[in-house]
Amino acid sequence: GSKLASTPADNYYLARRRTLQVVVSSLLTEAGFESAEKAAVETLTEMLQSYISEIGRSAKSYCEHTARTQPTLSDIVVTLVEMGFNVETLPAYAKRSQRMVITAPPVTNQPVTPKALTAGQNKPHPSHIPGHFPEFPDPHTYIKTPTYREPVSDYQVLREKAASQRRDVERALTRFMAKTGETQSLFKDDVSTFPLIAARPFTVPYLTALLPSELEMQQMEETDSSEQDDQTDTENLPLHMSTDDSGPEKENASVLQQNNSLSGSRNGEENLIDNPYLRPVKKPKIRRKK
Amino acid sequence: RMNRKKGDKGFESPRPYKFTTHQVVCINNINFQRKSVVGYVELTIFPTVANLNRIKLNSKQCRIYRVRVNDLEAAFIYNDPTLEVCHHESKQRNLNYFSNAYAAAVSAVDPDAGNGELCIKVPSELWKHVDELKVLKVHINFSLDQPKGGLHFVVPNMEGSMAERGAHVFSCGYQNSTRFWFPCVDSYSELCTWKLEYTVDAAMVAVSNGDLVETVYTHDMRKKTFHYMLTIPTAASNISLAIGPFEILVDPYMHEVTHFCLPQLLPLLKHTTSYLHEVFEFYEEILTCRYPYSCFKTVFIDEAYVEVAAYASMSIFSTNLLHSAMIIDETPLTRRCLAQALAQQFFGCFISRMSWSDEWVLKGISGYIYGLWMKKTFGVNEYRHWIKQELDQIVAYELKTGGVLLHPIFGGGKEKDNPASHLHFSIKHPHTLSWEYYTMFQCKAHLVMRLIENRISMEFMLQVFNKLLSLASTASSQKFQSHMWSQMLVSTSGFLKSISNVSGKDIQPLIKQWVDQSGVVKFYGSFAFNRKRNVLELEIKQDYTSPGTQKYVGPLKVTVQELDGSFNHTLQIEENSLKHDIPCHSKSRRNKKKKIPLMNGEEVDMDLSAMDADSPLLWIRIDPDMSVLRKVEFEQADFMWQYQLRYERDVVAQEEAILALEKFPTPASRLALTDILEQEQCFYRVRMMACFCLAKIANSMVSTWTGPPAMKSLFTRMFCCKTCPNIVKTNNFMNFQSYFLQKTMPVAMALLRDVHNLCPKEVLMFILDLIKYNDNRKNKFSDNYYRAELIDALANSVTPAVSVNNEVRTLDNLNPDVRLILEEITRFLNMEKLLPSYRHTITVSCLKAIRVLQKNGHVPSDPALFKSYAEYGHFVDVRIAALEAVVDYTK
Repeated sequence: GSKLASTPADNYYLARRRTLQVVVSSLLTEAGFESAEKAAVETLTEMLQSYISEIGRSAKSYCEHTARTQPTLSDIVVTLVEMGFNVETLPAYAKRSQRMVITAPPVTNQPVTPKALTAGQNKPHPSHIPGHFPEFPDPHTYIKTPTYREPVSDYQVLREKAASQRRDVERALTRFMAKTGETQSLFKDDVSTFPLIAARPFTVPYLTALLPSELEMQQMEETDSSEQDDQTDTENLPLHMSTDDSGPEKENASVLQQNNSLSGSRNGEENLIDNPYLRPVKKPKIRRKK
Repeated sequence: RMNRKKGDKGFESPRPYKFTTHQVVCINNINFQRKSVVGYVELTIFPTVANLNRIKLNSKQCRIYRVRVNDLEAAFIYNDPTLEVCHHESKQRNLNYFSNAYAAAVSAVDPDAGNGELCIKVPSELWKHVDELKVLKVHINFSLDQPKGGLHFVVPNMEGSMAERGAHVFSCGYQNSTRFWFPCVDSYSELCTWKLEYTVDAAMVAVSNGDLVETVYTHDMRKKTFHYMLTIPTAASNISLAIGPFEILVDPYMHEVTHFCLPQLLPLLKHTTSYLHEVFEFYEEILTCRYPYSCFKTVFIDEAYVEVAAYASMSIFSTNLLHSAMIIDETPLTRRCLAQALAQQFFGCFISRMSWSDEWVLKGISGYIYGLWMKKTFGVNEYRHWIKQELDQIVAYELKTGGVLLHPIFGGGKEKDNPASHLHFSIKHPHTLSWEYYTMFQCKAHLVMRLIENRISMEFMLQVFNKLLSLASTASSQKFQSHMWSQMLVSTSGFLKSISNVSGKDIQPLIKQWVDQSGVVKFYGSFAFNRKRNVLELEIKQDYTSPGTQKYVGPLKVTVQELDGSFNHTLQIEENSLKHDIPCHSKSRRNKKKKIPLMNGEEVDMDLSAMDADSPLLWIRIDPDMSVLRKVEFEQADFMWQYQLRYERDVVAQEEAILALEKFPTPASRLALTDILEQEQCFYRVRMMACFCLAKIANSMVSTWTGPPAMKSLFTRMFCCKTCPNIVKTNNFMNFQSYFLQKTMPVAMALLRDVHNLCPKEVLMFILDLIKYNDNRKNKFSDNYYRAELIDALANSVTPAVSVNNEVRTLDNLNPDVRLILEEITRFLNMEKLLPSYRHTITVSCLKAIRVLQKNGHVPSDPALFKSYAEYGHFVDVRIAALEAVVDYTK
């Protein structure tokens, strides 16, 4: 069925086998044999092939062991030594006079590994890189096209974004709350389109109604400290300027002062304040028994 | 003079006995769990007639265990006829019958007539003692269980001790209602000194009248007793009490002033009261008189009966007046309450009244000096705006309900002598009045004081007050001389005598007109200009036949703005003269370009092209100083109202012009209103009013209106970003005038309607964008009121649903605009649960908006939602809004 073998790999295998047979036959001739049985030749061919294969395999191992991909001469030498071959006899053997030269096997159509599609031209090596180094890979593997967007600095877009973000968060949060808790509805037949978190009475209703929320407290601190930044907000600037000398601001200034003076008096003058509600509670008088 | 003999002789007690030194009130047990109180009172009585064998005292809902007179057991009868007003009466079930029976019941226990619910028999062993006019000591043990009035317990239903729960109790009530919590002579005219003792849980504080002398632990150290002494003679009706786990703040400016609030609210208390010392300074300065008590206490409590209640040396306020520095809108309101409370300390607490018919003097003076404080604090514009508002209110009330009589004089008590037969209640007692009537009574009282000021000058007015205070102050320092103490009681005749002594002027006609009789004046004015004579022919008619009106005879000021200046004329309004000829000063002229002098001396350029070429009249004002309690309906041409709006500097005139311009929907009116709206020097309330007028005019002009919807471009210019006009700037409420305008404009814009009588889509989208882009992150102030008003704006934009065959409202046939509105309301209402706003303003607006949607047929009309928000445990503003919505179903 060898005739039927038609794949390039099979062809290659057959060609190599044939060459090896030629080599074995010429070596036998060189050794003085006039004829040989086919089976003997086959066996010797097999042995030679095994030997050469072993050299290749072993050399590859040595080469990879030293983190290379291409075997060097020393890899082969070490391999041969390891296989018990006297390397020193090799040059003399190679130069023997009675050696037969065999013609190169006809070049068969070598199996072509289909080349990867090249895109663009490979970069030449820069001058400081020796020419034996591998070529640059295809450009597509390293060329980068920047794809980031311009940082958003447009006021309108920022406001739009802040607004829709907040709205989305609020909507999601309230919907979640509504889904996980009791709800009320404006439409009897529908509870999901406009879900209202159920009204729940408080034990002390005035506390939540009067005290600023933590968010507001935080915001108040932030606006106090970031007043300078505020001035640079161009959108707000005209408003600021128009109020610079108006009443409200003064009022706020005085409120701040008051707070300061209040805390001052708390700390420093505590002892000086004579107020009946700050006086200590008296111990009860001991009742005399009559 | 007239029938005022009583005052000249001094005060005569209706009782056959007087108090000497003082009265002791001791409450030694307060049980918050059971809402009960146990205590005793001890009254020291000085008989003024022999054969005194019965002592009548006031006491309501108290259980009286034991009465002893000079350590002897005394029999007593307790009968409160007001508990069952219509005794087994089943035939006459009408308001008139009830009203008479109720007045009779109140009379039967009226301390000012020597009556009372509790009648104590003086033990016969003491009759001889009494005949010698010797002192009697009446000792009464009493308890109080679950009081229905007078003393209010607030006990939150949660874990922990009463102090940890913030449980508290306070006295409250309308007029003289001290009898609800201890037996006394519950009259404003029976003065004595007081010793008050309260034993409370060691974690609590008892705040009461006078000086806290000492606080002593009980033997088990678990309770403490607060001992108070009130050495200034005071009526029982001015005694008060508040007990709770209060946080204490000594006023940093005045150490004798102490503020109390409920736990956790101290930061708010600090901010809220930080202004009070300025009010003190103001009153002491104008009255040239020290604050009469040696100390002052403010207590802020929950579930207050009224926002402000003034008692001797202390005031009880609603805790809901407290606010932080971030809140704009509540600040002036709270300051007003503080100032009102303090004014009543001088007139109402320190100076009390002789009888119910003298109440108007106290309310009048305290309201008047409060007005002076308003003028100084908020400015003349705010003051005049307030006076106009109060005047409009009393006029509207009297025209609707009939007159309000400040100083009623009662005859024999027969029906025909009733000076207020037009009312469905008796005005003989404070307790039989309707609440609304009493509110209007107080309003009229201070307006009349202002009329007296107009007549005698403010300087004399303040001298009179000073005199009353000095006399009272001298009397109050007299010990054991109770006949001198009547100087601390004000009476109508005493007050008028003082005015006459100080000013030398006769104000009898004024008193007769506004105090001794009820009703207001209704003027109709119109004019014609007589070119030949260069005379303004003014016609002023009166309606004095309708209920609540009276005839006015006397001077009336008319101000005429002519080309050459502003001129005042005083007309004499007499019986049969309707026409008044007023000579004009200027000849009509058109071509001379000259500035027009205004009343305040200002000279301005005016575009005179709108005016009548033949007339030099720009505008006319009747009674510009509001010197008469009146309503004026005056007819002048639209251009005159427009000139008045643009150029008259008095805010009252501007507001009147705006009101009048509603009837003239023309491009000229539109322009005048827009110009006022844009003018930053213009008073912000006038600008706010102009917004609503502009909306009305725009609706009347809808077919000819050109340009964007009214106010939209102005709002954009004032409050939106320059680069992207559809986005509102991030909030900055530093300029309060802009803030109020920013809040109001969307609300007014939402009232705009297109030719189909719908709110224009553009306007709705505009408001939705305001909500969407609202950003308060960089603001120093809270935006809760602004957001609430944006919801109000959404509600204003709603128009009735187009109903096809009375289809049932479901989601499927929901109008797409309504869907957008509902989306916002749902989100806002839900966010309130997570981040509640101050006083839950947003919840309140959402509830109102939902009711509007229901009423207009967009959403099924179901009161379930409102009922749940009306339940106890929600913040009071929310409950009121919900209840109003529920009540609206009955309309």
